[in-house]
Amino acid sequence: MRWWKLSVRLFARDWRAGELRLFAIAVSIAVGAVTAVGFFNDRVQQGISRGSADLLGADVVATSSEPIPRAWVDAVATHRLKSAVAAEFSSVVVHGERLQLASIRAVDPGYPLRGALRSAPDLSTRDARTSATPEAGTVWVEARLLYALNLRIGDRIEIGNASFVVKQVLTYEPGRGGNFFAMAPRLLMHRADVERTGVIQPGSRVAYALGVAGADTDVTAFQERLRPDLTPNQRVIEAGQGNLSLTRALSRIDRYLGLTSLLAVILAGVAIAMAARRYSARHYDMSALLRCFGAAQRDVLHIYLPQLALLGIVASVLGCVLGYVAQEGIYQITKSLFPTALPSPSMKPIAFGVAAGLITLAGFAVAPIMRLKQVSPLRVLRRDLVPLPASALAVYGSAAVAMVLLLWRITENWTLTAGVLVGAIGAAALLGGAAFILLRASQRLHRRVGVAWRFGLNNLWRRPRASVSQILAFGLALMTMAVIALVRTDLVASWQRQLPPDTPNYFAVNVLPENVDAVRHFFAERQVPAQAMYPMVRGRLTEINKIAVAQAVTKEQSDDGALQRDLNLTWAVDLPPDNVIVRGEWWRGSADGAVVSVEEKLAERLGIKLDDSLTFVIGGTELAVRVTSLRKVQWDSFHPNFFMMFPPGTLNTFPSTYITSFHLAPEQKPLLVSLVRAFPAITLIEIDQFLEQMRNILRQATLAVEFLLLFVLAAGFAVLYAALATSLDDRFYEGALLRTLGASRWRLRAGHLAEFVALGVAAGLLAAVGAEIIAYVLYARVFELPYDFKWPIWIAAPLVGAALVGAAGYLGTRKLVDQSPIAVLREI
Amino acid sequence: MTTEGPLDILSGVNLDIKAGESVAIIGVSGSGKSTLLGLLAGLDAPTSGEITLAGETLTRLDEDGRARVRAGNVGFVFQNFQLLPGLTALENIMLPLELSDHPEPAREASALLDRVGLAARSTHTPRQLSGGEQQRVAIARAFATRPKVLFADEPTGNLDTATGARVIDLLFSIDHERATTLVLVTHDENVAARCARRIYLDAGRVVERR
Repeated sequence: MRWWKLSVRLFARDWRAGELRLFAIAVSIAVGAVTAVGFFNDRVQQGISRGSADLLGADVVATSSEPIPRAWVDAVATHRLKSAVAAEFSSVVVHGERLQLASIRAVDPGYPLRGALRSAPDLSTRDARTSATPEAGTVWVEARLLYALNLRIGDRIEIGNASFVVKQVLTYEPGRGGNFFAMAPRLLMHRADVERTGVIQPGSRVAYALGVAGADTDVTAFQERLRPDLTPNQRVIEAGQGNLSLTRALSRIDRYLGLTSLLAVILAGVAIAMAARRYSARHYDMSALLRCFGAAQRDVLHIYLPQLALLGIVASVLGCVLGYVAQEGIYQITKSLFPTALPSPSMKPIAFGVAAGLITLAGFAVAPIMRLKQVSPLRVLRRDLVPLPASALAVYGSAAVAMVLLLWRITENWTLTAGVLVGAIGAAALLGGAAFILLRASQRLHRRVGVAWRFGLNNLWRRPRASVSQILAFGLALMTMAVIALVRTDLVASWQRQLPPDTPNYFAVNVLPENVDAVRHFFAERQVPAQAMYPMVRGRLTEINKIAVAQAVTKEQSDDGALQRDLNLTWAVDLPPDNVIVRGEWWRGSADGAVVSVEEKLAERLGIKLDDSLTFVIGGTELAVRVTSLRKVQWDSFHPNFFMMFPPGTLNTFPSTYITSFHLAPEQKPLLVSLVRAFPAITLIEIDQFLEQMRNILRQATLAVEFLLLFVLAAGFAVLYAALATSLDDRFYEGALLRTLGASRWRLRAGHLAEFVALGVAAGLLAAVGAEIIAYVLYARVFELPYDFKWPIWIAAPLVGAALVGAAGYLGTRKLVDQSPIAVLREI
Repeated sequence: MTTEGPLDILSGVNLDIKAGESVAIIGVSGSGKSTLLGLLAGLDAPTSGEITLAGETLTRLDEDGRARVRAGNVGFVFQNFQLLPGLTALENIMLPLELSDHPEPAREASALLDRVGLAARSTHTPRQLSGGEQQRVAIARAFATRPKVLFADEPTGNLDTATGARVIDLLFSIDHERATTLVLVTHDENVAARCARRIYLDAGRVVERR
C-alpha cells in the first residue's frame, strides 16, 4: 500500500514535469487506432443485428428460387402465423429515352411484418415511417433511380410490358439485409402487378420470400417443420442471422483497417520503447537514491510498475476518446455503403482498447523499466555506474509477444498472424537495411554540401539507430499511403486502359429462348458487335464425389460464393474463344454424355479434380456428372463466361434463358430503349455502371484505410519526438557550444532543418522503393496488368516526407537555439 | 579485478565508530575514501572482511538486506547534491519520508526546510537554486528520517569556500542537535578539523589516525 501511494505521488510529479507526455501520446495513438476500428466494427455489427427482425422485415424469412411451395403456406396456417410474400428480381426500368437496371421487390399490403418502411412524398421532404405499401399500378423508388432516369414524382415508368406511376421516394425498407451493398437502385411495387410486366419467365432469376411473424414457439415450430424438406435452392433465414456475403465483405474491410491500426500500434510501440529507455535512464539517479534510502530491488519495481500501469490506463482512456472521434470519420467516409444510418457504437470496444494500451505498454516499456531495479545504490557515489542493458531477448521478445496477442485478436487466425508477423519482421529487416544504406549514402554527400547540411547530416549519422527508426517509421507510413493512393487512383484505370476498345460494355440476360434469333437479328441489323448467345440454367452444386458439399469442403471453402447461391450453368458445342483447357479434354460434339468442364480457379478453391463426380440440383432434379476438363477463363473479356459448362444435350430439358454481351458506342445508347421495348423480359447490365460502383466501394474502403493511416503518421511523429527527446541533452550542449564558438542562431536552425529534411527525403525514398515493389507485384503478378514505372511516387513521397518531417523536426528543435548558451552550459 | 590481476582498493582497514561520534576520512583523490564510505554505508560489499552497522553485520546480508539496514539508520549528503531535478525542494525532502511511510511527510519536510533557512524556496526545483541552496536542501533531506548515522561525501566539494563553510556549519549544527553519528569524507583539512576524529587514507591503507 505504501508503495502504491508513493507511486501515485511520483506519477503525479513526473506527469507534471512532462516526463510522461510522450509515453501518454504514443499509447493514446495506439489505442486510438485500435478503438477507432473497434468502434466502427461494433457499429456495423450492431447495424447488422440491431432489431434484426426489423432489418429482416419478419421473424423468419423462408426463401426459394421458385414460387412459394404449398407446404409452406399450409405451415403458416397450422402455426397461426402472420405472413407476407415478396418476390425479388432485377429488371430494366425505362423512362422516355433513359433506362436503368433496378432491383425490384414486389410486395403485398401488410409488408413488412416487423419494422416499417420509410418514404417521402418527394425529394425535398423529410422521410417518415409509413404502414402503407405501393398500390397496384404505382411504384415507390429510391432517390438514386429518380436521378438516374431524370424522374419526378408523378412520372410514368415502364417495367417490361407494364407502365407505372411513381408515387413515393423509398428511403428505407426492411429485408434488405441480403443486399447491403446493393448495386442497383431499389424499386417497390405491388405483387399483383408482376404478372402484367411479363418480366418473370421460366428460368428467370427470382427470389421468392415468405416472411412470417408470431409467437416465438410458433415461429420455431414453423422453422422446424420447414427445415427437413428444404431443397438446395431454399433457405430459412432467422432474424439476427448475419448475411454471409455481407459479413465477408465487411470482415475484409475490417481486417484491412485492423492491420492498418496494428501498423500504428507497432510504430507507437517503437516510440514507447524509445521513451521508456529515456525515462529509465533519467530515473537511474532516482532509483539509486531510493536504494540508498533503503528501498529493496523489489520496492523499486513496486514504485515504477504501478506508475506504468496508471499511465497506461490514463492514456488508454484518452486513446478511446480519440478512437471514438475517429470512428465517426471512418463512418462518414463509408456511409453510403450502408442502406441506413448505423446506430451509435456501444462502449464494448473500450475494454479491448484499454487492454491493447496496456499490452503495448507492457510489451515495449517494461523491459527498459525493469532495468531500474538493477541500478546499484553505489551510483550515488559513482555516477558512471549504469545497469546492464536489458537483454535483447527480453526487449524484442516482450514486444513480439505483445504484437502477436494484438495481431491474433485482430485476425482471429493463427496462420494469418504468423504470416503477417514473419512478413513484418522480414519487411522491417529489409527496409531497415535500406534505410541504413540511405543513411550511409547521405554521408557521401557530406563533403559536397554547405555547413548547415553538413551539420544536419552529421547529426543523422551520429545516431544511426534512432535515425534508422525514424526513416523506417515515416517510410512505412508514406509507403502505405502511396500504395493505397495508387490502388484508388491508378489500378482500376490501368486495368481499363488495357482492355480492347470493343470490349463489351453491356450484358443482356433473361433473353427468352423464343427471342434468341430475334435479338441476334436486332444486333446484326444495327451493326452492334455482340458475343455468342449462351443458354443459362440455374442449378446448385450439392455433392462432390457423392459427398454433400458441406462435408466435402472445409469451413472456409463452404463460405465460397459458388456454394452459397445457384450457379449459372450452360452448354456449348465449342470451347468459347477466350477459354483455354488446362487439364483434360473438351468434348467433341454431344456424345460424351454426363460430363462437365469446370473453371480452373473455382476447381482449385473447392478442391475439385479431373474425373471427380459432381452432383447438381436443377429445378428439383438431381444431375450427376463427371469432370472431364478444367478451363482457364479470361473473365475480364466481358464475354459470357461460366464456372460450369456442359455438352449439348445434358441440360436441354430444363427451362433456360439466354445471355450475351455486346459493345455499344456512346452514340448508340438510344438503341437500348428500343431493345428493352422490343424484348421486355431482357435485363440489361451496364458494365461501366457496375465498374463505377465497384470503384466507388474501392474508393470508400481505401479512403477509410487512408484515414486510419493518419494514426500511423501520428505514430511516426511520436517516434520522431521520442528520438529527439533522447538526443535533446546532447543537442542543447552542442548548440550552446557552437553558439559560444560563434555560430549564429540562423545557422543552427538551418542545420536542424537540413537534418530533418534529409530524414524526410530518406523516408520518402524508402517509401518510393517499397511502393514501387508492391505496385509491381500487385500489377504484374496479382492482376497481370502491364506495369509501368510509377514515377510520380518518386517525386511526391520525398517531397511530402521532407515537408512533414522537416516541419515537425524544425518545430521540435526550435527551443534548442532560443536559450542563452551560458545558461545551457551552466546547467550541464 | 583488472586485466593485470586483482587490485586492492582498500586493505587492512580496521575502524570502530561509536554512536554520536564524528569521524572524518581524509585523503587525496583515488586514495579509496569514497570506496570506504560506500562500504561503511552498505552501498557496496567488500570482497573480504566484515562490516557491522547499527548492530547488523552488513557483510552477511545481500543487497536487499543491506537496503533494509540502510532504511531508517542511514542518511546521505553527496558532493553533487543528488537532488532529483523533476521534484521541488520540498518534494526532494519528502521522498525518504514517504519511503519510510512517515505519517506526515509534508509537515516534517517543511519544518526541515525552515531549519535550513529555505522555507521560502519550497516550490523551487533544483535548477532554480544555487549550489549552496541545493546542498542545504540535501542536508535537510539527509536528516529527514532521523538517521542514526549520516554519511557525507565531500559535501563542500562543489562549493566555493565561503558557501562551503556555511553549509558545513549547518551540517554540524543539525548533527549536534540530533546527536547523529557523522562519517564525513573530505580532502579539506579545515572541514576535517571540525570532526572529533580523523583518519588518513593513502592508496587504500589507513596511514594515520588523530
